Amino acid sequence: MKVGIVGIGHGKFGNRSDATVQELAFEPFKQAIEDAKNLMREDIDALVVGSVPEYHMQRSLSGVVAEYIGMIPKSVWLTEAACASGSAAIRTAYMAIKSGMHDIVAVIGVQKMRELSTEEILALMGRVGDVQWESIFGTTFPGYYALYANRHMHDFGTTKEQMGLVAVKNHHYGSMNPHAFFQKEVTLERVIGSDDVAYPVSVFDCCANADGAACVIMTNEKLAKKYSDTPVWFEGLGSASAEMSLLRRPNLVEIPSAVEAAKQAYAQAKVKPSDIQVADVHDCFTIAEIMAYENLGFCPKGKGGKFIEEKQSYIGGKTPVNVDGGLKAKGHPVGATGVSMTTEIVKQLRGEAGKRQVSGAEIGLTHNVGGIGQYTFVQILRR
Amino acid sequence: MELKGKSAIVTGGSVGIGATIAIELAREGANVAINYRKHDTEAKEVAKKIKKLGRKCLVVNADVSNYNDAEAMFKKAIKEFGGLDILVCNAGINKDRVIWKMSEDEWDNVINVNLKGYFIYNKLAAAHFKEKRSGNIVNITSINGLRGKFGQCNYSASKGGIVSLTKALAKELGKFNVNVNALAPGMVMTEMAKKLPPEFLQKAVDETVLGRIATTKDIANVVTFLCSEKARHITGDVIKVDGGQYI
Amino acid sequence: MPFKYFGKINFTPYTKVDEFADYLQKGKLMGTQCKKCGERYFPPRADCLKCMNDTFRWVEYSGRGTLNSYTTIHAAPKGFEDIAPYTLGVVDLEEGGRLIAWINDIPKKEIKIDMPVKVVPRMFEDIPEIKLYYTIEKA
Repeated sequence: MKVGIVGIGHGKFGNRSDATVQELAFEPFKQAIEDAKNLMREDIDALVVGSVPEYHMQRSLSGVVAEYIGMIPKSVWLTEAACASGSAAIRTAYMAIKSGMHDIVAVIGVQKMRELSTEEILALMGRVGDVQWESIFGTTFPGYYALYANRHMHDFGTTKEQMGLVAVKNHHYGSMNPHAFFQKEVTLERVIGSDDVAYPVSVFDCCANADGAACVIMTNEKLAKKYSDTPVWFEGLGSASAEMSLLRRPNLVEIPSAVEAAKQAYAQAKVKPSDIQVADVHDCFTIAEIMAYENLGFCPKGKGGKFIEEKQSYIGGKTPVNVDGGLKAKGHPVGATGVSMTTEIVKQLRGEAGKRQVSGAEIGLTHNVGGIGQYTFVQILRR
Repeated sequence: MELKGKSAIVTGGSVGIGATIAIELAREGANVAINYRKHDTEAKEVAKKIKKLGRKCLVVNADVSNYNDAEAMFKKAIKEFGGLDILVCNAGINKDRVIWKMSEDEWDNVINVNLKGYFIYNKLAAAHFKEKRSGNIVNITSINGLRGKFGQCNYSASKGGIVSLTKALAKELGKFNVNVNALAPGMVMTEMAKKLPPEFLQKAVDETVLGRIATTKDIANVVTFLCSEKARHITGDVIKVDGGQYI
Repeated sequence: MPFKYFGKINFTPYTKVDEFADYLQKGKLMGTQCKKCGERYFPPRADCLKCMNDTFRWVEYSGRGTLNSYTTIHAAPKGFEDIAPYTLGVVDLEEGGRLIAWINDIPKKEIKIDMPVKVVPRMFEDIPEIKLYYTIEKA
């Protein structure tokens, strides 16, 4: 029995100092219910919230969100997998529906990053490696990805320019996405000329911390037609983990959990990388998108730089990637990102992406990574 | 033998308390380097006694208030002995005068030898000990550095300064496994003391509760104890060896 | 010497491998070895990942290794702003294992991936507190 998405919603990402975390969660939830057909809030029988609790003053987020949006007394809980919390929430909802325990599940990915200062966030996010042996030296999240970038440049000749081209592409598409944090395009000169955050990663190689929320409403094959004329189906879901610490990983040029999760998803969906017509990948840093092309099999290992250089990830290229602006232009409210990616692919597969439409897209993929690749969730969707 | 295999520098080790300290350190197993400024004959006598005990002895002509002299002495001792484990600063002078009659020179001189001299030797020892992650420094002060003595404002100031210097260094060097302590003798029966007027000595005896004056060996015994493993948990302290003169 | 003395800021003062700091203060880089299956670990761990045995012995590491990657942190996290910018290196140790530490004393221009390096136990000397760490230096 398949599981499908019948309603989607997406709030504005960015500096949302105008709202509390539960107020943020309300926006896409309302949209998703209206996006579905004949759906009443009372029909939904469970809520899964994807979020990383450490960033919020409010404790026990899922209960607070459930109360505000009116899901009490239904079953509600939170899932967390760092920056992949949104996808973890979707996977849990999938399992709940597939097992028959619940029929209609709403998944809300929501995050407020900006309740903490930049230094506090740098310190907090930096502690996603090994706090015992790494954070004592002042490691940061950009620093970890910089270690990957530096090695990737050494092993494969990837250049700062190639990394910069990822930012250029994503801001180009972000300027067409009204939900994105950043709506302006950028030039390559601006990107590679920006200040170093952690050499060789500079300011414009990094996604921004943002506030935001997104929502999907999922149900089983039997009920899907009732609530949507264009349900989008989950064809394959992959999930894998990798060592928390890159001190214990095989190398610093690929994310092993992404390779494994992709393998699982392709196997379950019975498709090949070249069958994917549109994808949203986890570009927390430009090097992360380059490695994603390779880890997902869109191009051979080490050729990620060439892939973007040849514009293969633009609409019209071999595999359009992040044509909603990616984390780079949208911003990265960590719990919301996985759900945001899913709503974008659903839009594409429904043919509702307007100026950013990949024409005739039937099979799409989302790739959501938590931390420095501790968790990866890959989803393949089909209309 | 508590100090087998160790090497020491004792300043002012040619006469008096210093000479006995040097000999007792050697008796406990240490090689010793001593300096002299003008007592070269006496210095050679001390060296003879140390060598008779089967230890090495280095005799160096050095003015303790001169940094270059001190540096050269350290280099020589470390080369000769293959390292250094102990520093005893003992060299000191006094130029007594009531303050209204004391000249600037009389002040400067005493401070330079007694206090700056200790700074110089402690600094050189610290650099070596902290790399080695072990070491022992004993700075000889005086009970007159803990209390004031009439006519000795320069001497008292210098000896009092040695106490704070010792405590500050104990804090700086503790994490390198180096102990720094001060020893405050009261009246000690040295060759020089024997030449003092008898009433003077009697007054000192009367001050003690034990009814006697320290021998140089009384002082040296405590120095060797402080440099031994037995005293490994004593640091930043001032040990009085004064027969109860101060209390 | 308890583990809390390790690092510029220590986040895990309580650990089964507490003795690591003691050895570090004495100038030794120590890893652990499982008493049952012999597997070695650096950074040290008390419980064997391979066979799950929970007894171990300490084994000394030479500190020699190869530089796997490096980065220079400009935007520093809370508590590290005063030393920014600083360069972090990842070293693959000769005897196995990998660590992250500061690269000190190697001029920027000379830092190259795959260069031989030596990891040296150090202490912050000029402050009253005891803070131990290790650095990556030229082999």
